[in-house]
Amino acid sequence: MSNTDHNHIEVGHAVPIKFLTAICCLLLFLTAVTVWVSRYDFNEINIAEMGIIMALFVATVKATIVGLYFMHLRWDRPFIGFIFIGSILFVVLFISLALTDTMEYQPEIIPGDTPAVTAAMDKLKESR
Amino acid sequence: MIETILYSLLSNVPPTDNGTFWLPRSASTVAENIDFTFELINWICYFFFAVIVVAMVLFCIKYRRKSPNMTCDGPTHNTALELTWTIAPLLLVVVIFTVGMRGYLDLREAPEGCYEVQVTGQKWSWTFNHPEFGATQVGELTVPVGKPVRLLMTSNDVLHSVWIPDFRVKMDVIPGRYTSLWFEATKVGDYQLNCTEYCGKDHSKMLAKVHVIPVDEFDATMIKLASEYEDMSRAELPAYAINRLYNRCVSCHSLDGSSGTGPSFNGLWDRVKVGQVKFTSGEALSSLLGDATEYGEPENYIRESILNPQKHIVQGYLGSMPSFQGQLKEKQITAMIEMFKHLDELTDANGNITVNKDGTPTE
Amino acid sequence: MITTEAKHDNLSMSDNYLNHTKGIKSWLFTLDHKRIGMMYLICILLAFLLGGIFAMLIRFHLLTPDGALMTQDQYNQAFTVHGAVMVFLVIIPAVPAALGNFVLPIMLGAKDVAFPRLNLFSWWLWILGLVFFLISLGTGGVDTGWTFYTPYSIDKASSMGGVIPALIGAFVLGFSSIFTGMNFIVTIHRLRPVGMTWFRMPLFLWGTYATAIIQVLATPVIGITLLLLIVERSFGIGIFDPALGGDPVLYQHFFWFYSHPAVYIMILPAMGIVSELIAVHSHRHIFGYKFIAYSSIAIAMFGFLVWGHHMFTSGQSQLVNIIFSLITFSVSIPSAIKVFNWLATLYKGSISLNTPMLYGLSFIFIFGIGGLTGLYCATLNTDVHLHDSYFIVAHFHYVMMGSALIGFIGGIHHWWPKMTGKMYNEAWGRFACVLVFVGFNVTFFTQFMMGSRGMPRRYATYQPEFQTYHVISTIGSTIMALGFVITAIYLLHSVFKGKKAPRNPWGGRSLEWQCSSPPPWDNFAEQPEVGDCYDFSVLVWNEEEQGYDWRKDAVHPGE
Repeated sequence: MSNTDHNHIEVGHAVPIKFLTAICCLLLFLTAVTVWVSRYDFNEINIAEMGIIMALFVATVKATIVGLYFMHLRWDRPFIGFIFIGSILFVVLFISLALTDTMEYQPEIIPGDTPAVTAAMDKLKESR
Repeated sequence: MIETILYSLLSNVPPTDNGTFWLPRSASTVAENIDFTFELINWICYFFFAVIVVAMVLFCIKYRRKSPNMTCDGPTHNTALELTWTIAPLLLVVVIFTVGMRGYLDLREAPEGCYEVQVTGQKWSWTFNHPEFGATQVGELTVPVGKPVRLLMTSNDVLHSVWIPDFRVKMDVIPGRYTSLWFEATKVGDYQLNCTEYCGKDHSKMLAKVHVIPVDEFDATMIKLASEYEDMSRAELPAYAINRLYNRCVSCHSLDGSSGTGPSFNGLWDRVKVGQVKFTSGEALSSLLGDATEYGEPENYIRESILNPQKHIVQGYLGSMPSFQGQLKEKQITAMIEMFKHLDELTDANGNITVNKDGTPTE
Repeated sequence: MITTEAKHDNLSMSDNYLNHTKGIKSWLFTLDHKRIGMMYLICILLAFLLGGIFAMLIRFHLLTPDGALMTQDQYNQAFTVHGAVMVFLVIIPAVPAALGNFVLPIMLGAKDVAFPRLNLFSWWLWILGLVFFLISLGTGGVDTGWTFYTPYSIDKASSMGGVIPALIGAFVLGFSSIFTGMNFIVTIHRLRPVGMTWFRMPLFLWGTYATAIIQVLATPVIGITLLLLIVERSFGIGIFDPALGGDPVLYQHFFWFYSHPAVYIMILPAMGIVSELIAVHSHRHIFGYKFIAYSSIAIAMFGFLVWGHHMFTSGQSQLVNIIFSLITFSVSIPSAIKVFNWLATLYKGSISLNTPMLYGLSFIFIFGIGGLTGLYCATLNTDVHLHDSYFIVAHFHYVMMGSALIGFIGGIHHWWPKMTGKMYNEAWGRFACVLVFVGFNVTFFTQFMMGSRGMPRRYATYQPEFQTYHVISTIGSTIMALGFVITAIYLLHSVFKGKKAPRNPWGGRSLEWQCSSPPPWDNFAEQPEVGDCYDFSVLVWNEEEQGYDWRKDAVHPGE
C-alpha cells in the first residue's frame, strides 16, 4: 500500500484496564446522579424544566467522556476530533432550522384535534 | 385510441383568453406580481442560456479538431474573469430573491376585512363552508369578484393542497392544523381548482370549480344556497341530494353498479331494506333490523353509516370512509335517504344522473 | 525516463482483470474494485431498464385525458415505482458506485479502494435493497410516491401493503451508499501515491469526494427517518401522524434534509465526469481547475442548507421560507462557475465531436436549462405557483435525468474502452446520442409549459386542454427510448465483436489511461508517475494503434 504518511497510524494505542474501569465507574456514578435529580420536583423553585436541563447536562458530560476515552479521541489525531465536532455542529444546524420552523407554525395547530388519541382514550374509559 | 387523440388535437381550439405562452390567464390581483417576477426571470434565463449555447456552438465549430495531434495552449485560468462570473450572477440572484420575497409577503399577508371561507379537504372532494351565510358547497366554490377572499383550510385525512392556477395561489391542506391563503379575483368566470399534493387513489379527480360572480349577485346567491333544502318538500329532496350532495360520494360510490372504494349506490336501498348486507365482522344486516333490534328501521342504519361509517364495514371493502358527522344537517341526511329510495328515477341504466336540481329532466 | 515501448513490454495484454480468475463465484465474491464496479454497472443498467419501462407506461397512459392504459391505483403505483427505482437504485449509486468504483482507484494511482470487503458488502446491500423493492411489489405494491409523505404512508387503510418492504429497501440502499462514500473518502485521503497531491487530482475525483461527504453525512438522517416511519406504521406511535399528535411537516423536514443533498449526490459526480469529458476530448487544459474543485465542495456544503425549498407551500413558516429561499440562491453560484469554466475550456481547444464529447456538450445544454429553471423554483412567489406542478417535474428531470444520467452515460462511453477493452461503433454512438438529446428535450420541455400553465403532478387523469402537451411529451419519450435501445445494442455488440481498444484512445492524461485496456488485475504493474493530468501536450497520435502515446521527446512527469 502506498500511504503518504505511515507515521500517524496509532491503531492499538494501549489504555490501562484500570483507567478504563475508573472511567466506567465515573459513568455509573453520573447515571446515579441523573436518577437522583429525577426524584426532585423543581416546581418549588419555579423552574419546571430544571430536571430535564440537568439530565441533559449530565448526559452531555457522559457522552464527552465516552468519546474522549472509550473512543480514543483523546489520543487520536486532532483531525478526527475536528470531524467529530464538525458532525455535531451539523446535527445542531439540522435540528435548529427544523425546530425554528415547527415553533413558528405552532399557533396554526388545532389544539386537541387528534382523533386517534381521542378514540383510544374513549376506548380506555369504556373498558374501565 | 388514435382516433381520440387526433380528434382531441383537432378540436382543441384555444379559448379566447388563453394567457401567455408560459402562463395561463391571470385572474387575481396577486397574479400580476407573480407574472412580473416570472417574466423577469424568464428574460434573465433567455440571456444566459443564449450566451451558453452560442459560445458552445461557436467554439465547437471554430476549434473543432482538424488533426489528432493539435496541441492547444489556451489560458488555464484567469482570476479576474472567474471572479466576474462569480460575482455578477451573485448580484443578479440577490435581485431576484428580493423581488420574489416581496411578492411572497404580499401573497401571504391577507388584507383586512377578507370574506372568509372554511375549506375542508377529504379524500377525494373539497367542501367549502360559508360561515357568514351558513351555506355549504361541495366541489364548487362561489366567490365575489373584486373582494379579497381568505380560505381557512384543514384536512380530515391526509395532506391535500389547493391550487388555483389562474389565481397563482397554492397552499397545502394539513390534518390537525389550519393553513390559509387569500386571493382577490379580478374577472367574473369559472376557474379550475386542483388538489396538488398527492393524496391517494383518486388524487387526480379531487377537483373543484371556482365560480367568480358579480358582487351584487353574491349575497342573493349565497342566501339561496344556504336555505335551498330547508323549504323543500320530501318529494323534492332526492333531486337536490343527487345534484348537491352526491358529489361528495362520487369518487367511491358509483351509480352504475360497479364497485369502487366503496359499494355502489345502485340497488343499495333494495339490499338494505331486506337486510341483505354482510359485514366483515360476520354479522348480517338482517339481524339488526326489525322489532327490538339495534336499528329497527333500515333508515336508521343508513343514517349511522353516514355519521359513523367505521361501525359496520361491508364485506369486500376496506372501511376507508370518513365520518360526515357535523358536516350534514339532519334534513340533508334525510335527503340522502330519500335519494337512495328513488335512485331509479334519478339515474339511467348507465348510472348517469337524469334530473336537475329542480327535478326537471337533464338534456 | 521511461519510454512507451518499455511500458508496453511490462504490461502483458493477456492477463487482465476480466480473465484473471474465472467462474461466477470469482465475480460475485470478488474484492477487486473493477469487477465490483462492473457488477454495479450491469445491475444499475438493468434497474434503469425497469424504471424506464415504468416511465414509458406512465407516458403512454397520459396520451388521453382519462388515462389510456391503467386504473388510478395502477398509475399511482407506476409513478411510485418509477421514482423509487430511478432515485434509490439507479441515479444515486450510478456514478459513484459503478463508474466511481471502477475509475476512482485507478485514477488515483491506487491498487484498490481502502476497504475492498466493505466495497463488496455495499454491492450485496444494493442487491438486498433491490430484493426488498421486489418484495414490496409482490406484497401489495406501493402507491405513496417515492417521497413516502405522511400521514398517507402511515395510513394502512389507504396506502398499499408494500410500504414497509419498500421503506426497508430504501433504508438498506442507504447503507450501501454510506459504505461507498466512506470507502471513497478514506481511499482519497490515505491511498494517494507519491506525487498525487490534492490539486493534482483529476476533477472527477473532486466530484466523487464531495459526493462521498454528502453520502456519509446526509444518508444516516434518511435512515433514521425511514426507521421512524416503519415504527410508526407498525405500532402507531405518533411522530408524524397528526391524528396521534404528530407532525407531518416535520417528516418533510427530515425527508428533505437527506433528499435534497441526495440531488447533489446525483449531480456532483456527473459534473466531475463532464469536467473530464470536456478537457480530454478538447485536448485542452481545464480552465480554472481550482474554481471547479472548490465549487464541488461548495455545492456539497450549501446543499445541506437548502432543503426547505421543497416546502415553500407545505405549511412551512414564512420566516423559514425566506431563509431557505435566500440560501438556495447561493447554490446557483458554484453551478454557474462550473458551466462558465467548461465553456472557457472549449475556447481554443481541439474539439473532437465524438460520442462522449457529444454527451458532455448535451450535459452543458441540458444542465443550462435545468439550472436556470431552478431560479423560478427558488424564487418564493413564482414557486408558490409552480410547486407540485409539471414545471417541477420537468425541472428535476432536466437535472436528475438530463444532467446526472446523461453525464453517467457519457462517462460509460468515455471509459468503455478501458472497462471492456473494446471500441464501440462511433457512428451509431453519435446517432443514439442525438436521439437521446432530442427525445429528452421534446419530452421534458413541453412539461415546463404545461406545468406553468396549470397541470398538477401525479395526475392519472387531466383536463383536456393539456392533451397536446402530453402527446408531444410521449412522442419525445419514445424517441429517447429508441436512443437508449440503440445504445444498448451497439454497446453489447462491441463487447463481442468490437475492435480491440488501444491503451489510450482519446488522449486522456489521467492515470487510468496509462494502464492497458482492460486494466491488469492489480491496476499498475509498476507505480505510475503523476503529472499534471490536464497537460495534453505530452501525447502524440499513434496511427497504427489508433490511440495516443507519450511523445518521445516529452520529459516524463514527476522527474
